[in-house]
Amino acid sequence: MVLDLAWRLFRHEARRGELTIILFAIILSVSAVLSLSLFSERLQAALVDRSAAFMAADSQLRSREGFNDDWEQAGITEGLSTARQASTRSMLFGEQAMSLVDLRAVSETYPLKGDIKVMDKPFGKISVTQDTPSDGNVWLDSRLFQLLDVSLGDTVFIGDKAFVVEKVLGEIPDAGFAFFGSDPIALMPLSDLEATKITGEGSRVNYKTYFAGESNLISSYFDWLKPQLDDEIHSWRSLEDDDSPIGESVATAEQYFLLASLLAIVLAAVSIAVAAQRYSRRHYDPVAIMKTLGASTSVIRKVYVLQVTFIMLLGIAVGLVVGFVTQHIVVLALANSVDVSLSVWHWRPVAIATFTGALCAFMFSIYPLLQLFSIPPLRVLRRDIDSNLSAKWLQFAAAGGAIFALMWAYSGELLISAIMFASGIALVASLIGVTYILIFVGRKLGQGSMGPWQLAWARIKRRSMDNSVQLISFSVTIMLLLVVLVMRNDMISQWQDQLPAGTPNYFMMNITEDEKQTLTQHFTDNHVDMGYLYPVVRGRFVSINGEQINTKVNDNDEDDSESEGRDGLGREANLTWDLELHNENKIVDGEWHKDWVNPNTDELTLYPVSVEKDLAQRLSLELGDELTFNIGSEIVHSRITSFREVNWQSMQPNFFFILHPQALKEFTPVYLTSFYLAAERREDLTTLLSPFPTVNLFDVESRINQLRAVVDQVSLAVEFILVLVLIAGSLVLVAQVQASMDERQQELAILRTLGAKGSLIRQSVIFEFVIIGVVAGLMAAIGNELTLLLLQTKVFQMQASLHLNYWLIASVSGAAVVGVLGAISCWRLLSLNTTTLLRKMI
Amino acid sequence: MTQHDNEHSKYSIAVSKVTKTVSTGEGKLQILQPISFNVQHGESIAIVGASGSGKSTLLGLLAGLDETSSGEIHIEESPLHTMNEEQRARLRGEKVGFIFQSFMLVQSLTALENVMLPAQIAGLDDPARKAKIILEQVGLSHRAYHFPNQLSGGEQQRVAIARAFIGEPSILFADEPTGNLDAANSTKVEDLLFTLNRDKGTTLVLVTHDDELALKCDRQLRMNAGVLQEITANAEEVA
Repeated sequence: MVLDLAWRLFRHEARRGELTIILFAIILSVSAVLSLSLFSERLQAALVDRSAAFMAADSQLRSREGFNDDWEQAGITEGLSTARQASTRSMLFGEQAMSLVDLRAVSETYPLKGDIKVMDKPFGKISVTQDTPSDGNVWLDSRLFQLLDVSLGDTVFIGDKAFVVEKVLGEIPDAGFAFFGSDPIALMPLSDLEATKITGEGSRVNYKTYFAGESNLISSYFDWLKPQLDDEIHSWRSLEDDDSPIGESVATAEQYFLLASLLAIVLAAVSIAVAAQRYSRRHYDPVAIMKTLGASTSVIRKVYVLQVTFIMLLGIAVGLVVGFVTQHIVVLALANSVDVSLSVWHWRPVAIATFTGALCAFMFSIYPLLQLFSIPPLRVLRRDIDSNLSAKWLQFAAAGGAIFALMWAYSGELLISAIMFASGIALVASLIGVTYILIFVGRKLGQGSMGPWQLAWARIKRRSMDNSVQLISFSVTIMLLLVVLVMRNDMISQWQDQLPAGTPNYFMMNITEDEKQTLTQHFTDNHVDMGYLYPVVRGRFVSINGEQINTKVNDNDEDDSESEGRDGLGREANLTWDLELHNENKIVDGEWHKDWVNPNTDELTLYPVSVEKDLAQRLSLELGDELTFNIGSEIVHSRITSFREVNWQSMQPNFFFILHPQALKEFTPVYLTSFYLAAERREDLTTLLSPFPTVNLFDVESRINQLRAVVDQVSLAVEFILVLVLIAGSLVLVAQVQASMDERQQELAILRTLGAKGSLIRQSVIFEFVIIGVVAGLMAAIGNELTLLLLQTKVFQMQASLHLNYWLIASVSGAAVVGVLGAISCWRLLSLNTTTLLRKMI
Repeated sequence: MTQHDNEHSKYSIAVSKVTKTVSTGEGKLQILQPISFNVQHGESIAIVGASGSGKSTLLGLLAGLDETSSGEIHIEESPLHTMNEEQRARLRGEKVGFIFQSFMLVQSLTALENVMLPAQIAGLDDPARKAKIILEQVGLSHRAYHFPNQLSGGEQQRVAIARAFIGEPSILFADEPTGNLDAANSTKVEDLLFTLNRDKGTTLVLVTHDDELALKCDRQLRMNAGVLQEITANAEEVA
């Protein structure tokens, strides 16, 4: 019986459009969450693929003691594809010269992800190749052509074996970002490695086995492999360990997507709350009637819980379809400009969206439903009787609890959730305060003759509680949109700042004291700006507080590609000295040694050294620790006086250790610098460098381009997420205005009946919404500042800043949007004749 | 059964010293002075009075929609004043029918479904069949599948009457049943109401402004500032 009644009510109401708003809210929440999370998963899958390209695989097994055939075979059996690379530092001999190279011997399947790129000539045009060097051939980095004075087709020697220089190597996927201070790469076939006889006893070769495949296959393979690994010999690297600039950009973007999705959930929740309230109000009469006709509270409860269930199920079903179609349209529209993986179909977003729809529908309906259940039957005689349930705290607790639970459950990040939630609470609290102040002010203004302003103020005054709820929902919506918009602007501009136009794309190493002057002059003559010349001596970092550096530290010796951090250590480090602190460095602890004075005592002098903080953390260094460097045959003692934060993503020369100039005054440095040369002037490199044959040139153009490509792609993706959230937010605003118009309907009908002119009513409604819009916009701007301050400093590790322009933008656009929406709804109402209006009231 | 109960069993409605006091911002306000009267089974009474005299409040109390401040009300022998809301709801479902000035139809149900509603709530068998029969009786079978907003005022009130009679109530409460209707429709609704009332032997309590309508009832009571007076024959004050 109850089911039948609930179903009839649901069916008719749905058909008559009575459920449009609440259905719409659930559809919106489900579709927004589904499209955002599905889109972001697809995007992430694509970005992960891109990151994988920087590892040449999805995962790597690194070993110091050769390849393990059985393990690799097990991977293949598991369904993974594999490849191999043995790398070591070795001498490469040309006819005229020799050079230390980063030798990479690779199997034919290398790389599993990403591409090998070659050039038509040294520093020439770059193109992708599907090949690897065949037997007897070697591909050399452009620099080596310069260093060894060789050409294509010449013969070079690696160990005991002769190789033909077959191609100019442009780049390999896992060359890493440690371009600076690294050796030029020579790529050779793995099958020839044995013949070189360089991998014998005592050689330090790093063996990498690459794996690629479905992430679940990889994790199950790793689960199997893990217990067999010896930490001293093996290490497993996967995408999560990617601390390269790409990895970090992707991580930031992921957090942004997460944030956007969280906000979408909150938006959806707000719209459901508004709709549920409206739904409940519209059912006060039917409930009173049913109670009068003898329905017990339990019958009423069952009827409405069933109704809400029907609505929820329909909303979720339609929402899933709409969400899927929306994101698919976006994906198709983006297919050319953004790399989005189409093959991904994760059930997680569907589950999240369904869960969100269900939880929101129930949690946000609880209070309105309880109100509905408590409607006394006497309402049939006295229409002014409302619910006698006055437990607002319950509404706040249910709504707040649901939002927080969703945020937390979804993000798994307590901090982001807590920040968003706390600012929401603060905003709501201050909004209630502001509403009352507004009403107080309005009371003064709202007296006198009945113009549209007075009518507007009178309504705001009379409906203070309803208006505060409305103001809160408008403000929260606008605030969330602002947060997403401003975060996106700040994030993208900070990304772009990292690699501004003119970022140095070439580095020069090995400039001698004698060449310094002429080189600078030569570059000036050729109109190329050269950066600061950093003096460098190569030294070995040998002890901490007199204790020899142990093998634990040296574990990372050959672990030389992806991470800048590990690269400088174990083998010789580049030591520089300076009194000035350069831009990309920031002291985070201790004091910069500019004002240090040499005590000139008989005791051993400990010169100040500033250490990069991540390295310090890894080696457990503390301020005041004594570090010893071995430079040539000399020993330099130093004491840590400061830790520096270094922006490794800036493509500027950076150093782990910066000593006081006095420490190294006895040593002859070579200099290191960087410069920018536009792509079209690439040909000039030969002119620029031919007078200085010993200077080593590093081309980082392609790395910068890779970085830029990722940043551009992520930025574009962020834009689209922003657009999605903006659309969702606007729809929520429409729903809110619609709901509040309903509440004004009766009053408008009466005014109309009393002969008020359409223009008076319309203007008063517009003014009312404009006032609410301005205040909501302003409050949203304040809330936005607070949220951003917390988010940027605590979560995104960005520079926080004030956004005063948004105060104006938010108020003006708040007033405009809310005003216009109000005007449209009002126009719709006024287009009905008075009888219809009155009839709608009954 | 005590003598006191026997006393009540004679009446369809027995009201004894009922008062209603409400709290206002300025203290307590007694809107009903102690009221006592009885209504026989099958009798029709009209409660007339000006707006704000307290007649709707009295109707709410008699129908168990509201609680008395003091005094006793027995409806078909059931002590309404001792019941909680749930018990009163059940009693309403079993014994009472309602007709309101503003019809109070559920807007999202068809005429037929509105009529079925009390039967469904009471869990009666085949409510649709019963509803169709009674809609036929009120002359609206051709409008069974229309929604309230597709019906005229008179038609809506006839649906409400059909709804009131479907559960075959012992007592029918009507609050200004013709208040929203034009003369022609009023007559139609009045005729229908009294005919059904007579045919089914229902007790009728009618609240109205309309003295003419009131005169169609067996007895008339006048409400004046919370005081109830019998205005038939001997104009005896019943309070």
